[in-house]
Amino acid sequence: MFNKLKSTFLVLFGLAVLWSCESELDLEPEDNRETSESAFEDPEAYKQFLAKLYAGFAISGQDGPAGDPDLSGLDEGFSQYMRLYWKLQELTTDEAVIGWNDGTIKDLHNQNWTSGNEFIRTMYSRVMYQIAQSNEYLRQTEPSVLDGRGVDAATQDQIAVYRAEARFLRALSYWHALDLYGNPPFVTEEDAVGAFLPEQISSNELFDYIESELLAIEGELIDAGANEYGRADKAAAWMLLSKLYLNAEKYTGTGRYNEVVTYTDKVIDANYSLVDDYQKLFLADNNSNGAQNEIIFPITFDGINTQAYGGMTFIIHAAVGGEMDPDDFGINGGWAGLRTTSALVNKFLDNEDDAIEEVEDERAIFFTEGQSKEIEDISSFTDGYAVAKYKNIDTNGNAGSDPTGDFPDTDFPMFRLADAYLMYAEAVLRGGGGSEADALAYINELRERAYGNSDNNISSSDLSLNFILAERARELYWEAHRRTDLIRFGQFSDGGVWPFKGGVPQGTTTESFRDLMPIPASDLGVNTNLTQNPGY
Amino acid sequence: MRTLFKSTLFLLLMLPMSFFAQNTVTGTVSESATGLPIPGANVIVQGTTNGTVTDFDGNYSISNVAEGDILTFSYLGFATKEITYSGQSTIDILLDEDSATLEEVVLIGYGATSEQDATGAVEKISADQFNQGAVVSPEQLIAGKSAGVQITPGGGAPGQGGTIRIRGGSSLSASNDPLIVVDGVPLDQRGVAGSRNALNSINPNEIEDFTVLKDAAATSIYGSRASNGVILITTKKGKRDTPFQFSYDVKISAGSINDKVDVLNAEEFRSLINDTPGTNPSLLGDSDTDWQDEIYETSLGAIHNLTATQGIGDFYYRLNFNHTAENGVLTGDYYERNAFNVALNQDLFDNKLKLTLTSKNSLDRNKFADQGAIGAAVAFDPTQSVLDDTLPFGGYFEFNRVSGGNIVQQNLATRNPVALLDLYEDDNQTRRSITNLNAEYKFHFLPELKAVVNAGFDYAEARGGTFRPLIAAANTTNINQFSNYENINRNLLLDTYLNYKTDVDFLNTTEVDLTAGHSYQEFYSFSNVTGTEQDQIFDFPRDINRNALESYFARASFDINDKYLISGSIRADGSSRVAPQNRWGYFPAASVGWKLHNEDFLSASNTVSELKLRGGYGETGNYEIGRNYGYLGLYTPSQGGARYQFGSTFVPTLRPEEYDEDLKWESLINYNAGIDFGFFSNRLSGSVDAYYRETEDLIATVPVPAGANLSDQLLTNVGTTVSRGIEVGLSGDIARSEDFNWTLNYNISFQDLEITKLTLGDDPNFFIPQGGISGGVGNNIQLWKEGYDPTTFFVFRQVYNEQGQPIEGAYVDVNGDNQITEADKQPYKKATPDYYMGLTNTMNYKNLDFSFTFRGSFGNYIYNNTQSANGFIEAGTNTPSNYYSNLNSNVLETGFVNSQFFSDYYLQAADFVKLDNISVGYTVPGEKVDFRASLTATNVLVITDYEGLDPEVFGGIDNNFYPRSRRFVLGLNIAF
Repeated sequence: MFNKLKSTFLVLFGLAVLWSCESELDLEPEDNRETSESAFEDPEAYKQFLAKLYAGFAISGQDGPAGDPDLSGLDEGFSQYMRLYWKLQELTTDEAVIGWNDGTIKDLHNQNWTSGNEFIRTMYSRVMYQIAQSNEYLRQTEPSVLDGRGVDAATQDQIAVYRAEARFLRALSYWHALDLYGNPPFVTEEDAVGAFLPEQISSNELFDYIESELLAIEGELIDAGANEYGRADKAAAWMLLSKLYLNAEKYTGTGRYNEVVTYTDKVIDANYSLVDDYQKLFLADNNSNGAQNEIIFPITFDGINTQAYGGMTFIIHAAVGGEMDPDDFGINGGWAGLRTTSALVNKFLDNEDDAIEEVEDERAIFFTEGQSKEIEDISSFTDGYAVAKYKNIDTNGNAGSDPTGDFPDTDFPMFRLADAYLMYAEAVLRGGGGSEADALAYINELRERAYGNSDNNISSSDLSLNFILAERARELYWEAHRRTDLIRFGQFSDGGVWPFKGGVPQGTTTESFRDLMPIPASDLGVNTNLTQNPGY
Repeated sequence: MRTLFKSTLFLLLMLPMSFFAQNTVTGTVSESATGLPIPGANVIVQGTTNGTVTDFDGNYSISNVAEGDILTFSYLGFATKEITYSGQSTIDILLDEDSATLEEVVLIGYGATSEQDATGAVEKISADQFNQGAVVSPEQLIAGKSAGVQITPGGGAPGQGGTIRIRGGSSLSASNDPLIVVDGVPLDQRGVAGSRNALNSINPNEIEDFTVLKDAAATSIYGSRASNGVILITTKKGKRDTPFQFSYDVKISAGSINDKVDVLNAEEFRSLINDTPGTNPSLLGDSDTDWQDEIYETSLGAIHNLTATQGIGDFYYRLNFNHTAENGVLTGDYYERNAFNVALNQDLFDNKLKLTLTSKNSLDRNKFADQGAIGAAVAFDPTQSVLDDTLPFGGYFEFNRVSGGNIVQQNLATRNPVALLDLYEDDNQTRRSITNLNAEYKFHFLPELKAVVNAGFDYAEARGGTFRPLIAAANTTNINQFSNYENINRNLLLDTYLNYKTDVDFLNTTEVDLTAGHSYQEFYSFSNVTGTEQDQIFDFPRDINRNALESYFARASFDINDKYLISGSIRADGSSRVAPQNRWGYFPAASVGWKLHNEDFLSASNTVSELKLRGGYGETGNYEIGRNYGYLGLYTPSQGGARYQFGSTFVPTLRPEEYDEDLKWESLINYNAGIDFGFFSNRLSGSVDAYYRETEDLIATVPVPAGANLSDQLLTNVGTTVSRGIEVGLSGDIARSEDFNWTLNYNISFQDLEITKLTLGDDPNFFIPQGGISGGVGNNIQLWKEGYDPTTFFVFRQVYNEQGQPIEGAYVDVNGDNQITEADKQPYKKATPDYYMGLTNTMNYKNLDFSFTFRGSFGNYIYNNTQSANGFIEAGTNTPSNYYSNLNSNVLETGFVNSQFFSDYYLQAADFVKLDNISVGYTVPGEKVDFRASLTATNVLVITDYEGLDPEVFGGIDNNFYPRSRRFVLGLNIAF
């Protein structure tokens, strides 16, 4: 017995010494995570990855509404693309203030942000994240890679369209980078994934790149209005080109207003139409109540399927507080943060002492009960009128699909026909050619919708650049255009004053370098190729 | 392996049990040198279960002894004597002190050495030095006992684990927890999901000793897991040739909180709301509720231990059953442990083969109270009542509104703290077994050569669930919210090594000790959750993780002439977590020692009993980054509401993850120099150590150059840290006599950790925000920056008026641009101490013993988030809907209206001295039965200037802190 045991022990010991397990050190995921080889075994993966690129604008990670974030530098809900883009485009202007105490959030309206501002930083990260994801998409869908995986020809044709859309989405983010940061880092599908230091690109070169990309994919995108709802088509690219050209003078020093006329014309000639009721554009059923015919490119949200604490969830909840009844907005409660300044309210008034409730312009959707028009304390929700434009109820007043009332169905209208009208008119006024009569007709089309009649139509003598800027505010407030518009009109920093601009109640001008956001200090610290924008 | 196991079990069944008719022998056992009697010495008839123990006067009586039987007399520290019985009625025995066994053996990882021969910074803490009291978590046994080892207890939840730092940790994003090896099984450094403390399955009562390996010369044999030090825990075993002994030990304790957060009472709150313009006092209630009184209760606990031990010849065992139960001071919190420990030893073939089986099995039950109630109690309006039958919230008052004709809760309002506790269930059961079989075989043909196989596993299975009924206001959905989970953590180990120990004739005599071996360990974890999200029930995707570590290691030690010690070791670790090109890391170490007391000029000294110089160098690694496959580019499918609308369908998304193909080991270089000394026959002894450590290729989650990777932050190798420190440990026997003994132990540690590089760039102003606080989202109060400790705070410098009052919003304009922006924040103070110390007193007079432990920490600061988050008027009045929140009383001092989160006003010195425990005990020795009773108070006294509840908060941000209770413990022990 003992001898047997002894020999058993010796054999076991010998085996144990010899047992080498090095091969067992090559381990791969055993749960739902996939390697790049296994992920694309299912051709549906190409569509799902494309859906990720779109979802990058709407949701914040892989577990809706939160739990597996894309970015880790800031709270997940805060790091959502549209929420950040909206804040940088609106809180910095006369259209919005926020009452919260989140880090440096109040610096945005005060226009005293630094390169350490986490909202500016995270927007930058989000934009570059979106670009890096698109680049990865393009690398994984190179025809040679697809051939290697044995993807059939029909699928490859489908993927060619996906690739064009991925390039559109990348161009959209690069345009945001150009508009906000001027000279961002530049990476394309030619760069590998790693920890290398991307080169900085100048505004001029980036402008050319975005333009060339959009022109290159114009033919590959599906015709205007012919793609599935939510996906980009030719008209989306035309809108982006128009935006790019309209602001070209700011980006490159050279105006490109003729091209604005060309591309807004293309949009206007396509099969889009204004929805009858302005309010419908901002309701839970704006993908089906007729607004979908006006919206050229939406960022879609859904109470069940597309959930995030950013995007429309933020815009609707944060604007509700005070005496506002959450039921009227189809939500379970307000977050009591966002209001507007008297500067926006006054744009609807002939006389500043008039009551906003009396105004016939149906676009003036403010909530005033218990709210003061002027702001004393930015932190207090009841200081400043609330904006009741966005709601999670449908045309019939029913709340959206999420029974908990957290996540709205309302889609964000990133590009819509009214904007094309206004851009066309502005380009005509800025000498881009086109027809002044058409321009006037387009503007009056918007005003007739707003007033329900033609009593408030304007004449050609009223049509001035200043009028356009004010009309853009009336038509497009809280739609994330304001900062870009004010900069184009020289009214953002060293021109233009509104309450609490510069951190003082009556408002003051700031220095012009604030027309560009700073490159975040955190990226300057890790990427030695970058130079800070002047003034910061 | 299985064969071996079965054979062992078979052997156990063959326990020799023989009975013969016999005689009785009596006698006295005494020390040969002094003639003093030895109480407690073992007297055994060899090869039988027949034995006894000498009484207090050294007397024994043993019956049933047959002629020819061999009687063995043994006592720790003395050479065992064997006498063959030949009919004597009295056998008096003198035992000689055994110098060889007197020398304490210390474990050093894959082997042992004597304390005298150790060349690394190694400290052994034995049971007699442990902290007293109703200790539930093992690490609390050694809090304050060892220089360089800082143990911060967790919050006051029952069974809550603490944080252990040896020499302050060295990493940023990788773990700073030491490797813990229990009876040869390294535990998974990631802990056990669902459990309050991964160490709780080790019954503190069953721990024989802790050995702390502090410097790399000692730890590098554990290679890639050793950068944060190693703690070797040895559990108690049976002893050869000991009579059957049974003991029962019970500790009954009661505890309660001794302080509450200072908030406004109903009257103060009511007048503050009345006095604040723009408020609506009709929102207030007319009650007077102290919410903190409503959520805390007295905690009661009991710890029972039943132990049986016996040594039947060369088979010896120890069995222990433990039942621990304690409810928390927060109503509804509960911890229970049912543990069964087995230690079996069998020595075979003239002790050539030694088999040891140890198995620690436990069933833990937890009830977790919703700790959100702690913050809610501080913030809930004190003018509201606890109950309100008219509301649809289970009988509790809640802030409400009317929606569609129904009363519903206000969405973001503070919830009733009592309802949070009562209308919530969170139960957990964790089954765990840490088992290993160790076989040590000395070869017949070459007894100097020893082969060791150590096979072990650590298996934990946790099941639990949470439940929040629809009626609870905290449930804002339309269904009962629940989550059921199952977690498995498994860790398999196989170590094999050879040890060769001999004396060679070189420079007189050189003791050579060589070890070489191989180790393989695999870690597997599985988790599965089913639960609700919003109004839907999901079966969430399973989470499976596996990683493996394969290692080769070798060590050579030489003791030349009993004076000069040289030791060197190397470990090669291959980890599945590292890309193949970087997979293998090599971790060498070398150390030397000089036993001066054996030199001629000191050997005769009466003053100096020990004097040894030590020096060592070593490299270790750290790859405890909490995730696997970090070098692979992975794709994650989306779940829940993370689909995107294409037409009329919602398409799930697929995300490529960020990765660093070149991710490699974090490596640490460590220099250590030390001196061990003992004077006056070691009545005064101690050691001093100084170290310098550099961590390179630091693994940190840092911003990645934007656009270069697939996220904004990446876990990658970047930067270096440097830490240095001095540690002093002293032990003095003030009195040493038969009746009166008095020992004082004191240790003090000075440490300094600094980030010396953090980025690939060279921007000296680069920093990474750290330390999220409560109040606002995304607010951070600390930073990582070159030149600073990683727990450094990042604040505005507050400006004060002539009366010393902080002026709201007035900060030092550091950059002089006439505005206060984020650029005016400065790094200031830190959460880690400059130095900390421990003082232990043990004293006994005859049968009465008395002990206490003091612990102190100096130079550490705390950000008082409890004050900053609720200490300004708008925190109470500017709420998202129609209700008000209570305020911290600090608002009455500052008068702040708006939040001033980043003011250094809230940064408060948190130096402290704590009397951790004080204990008095009395032992009643008996003929057959020993009895002992003790009374202990724990968390007795805190001396500090800090204004919050407790100055000891790991990480330095005091927010929603679970108060630690002050406990009184009655202990009774009876042994047969």
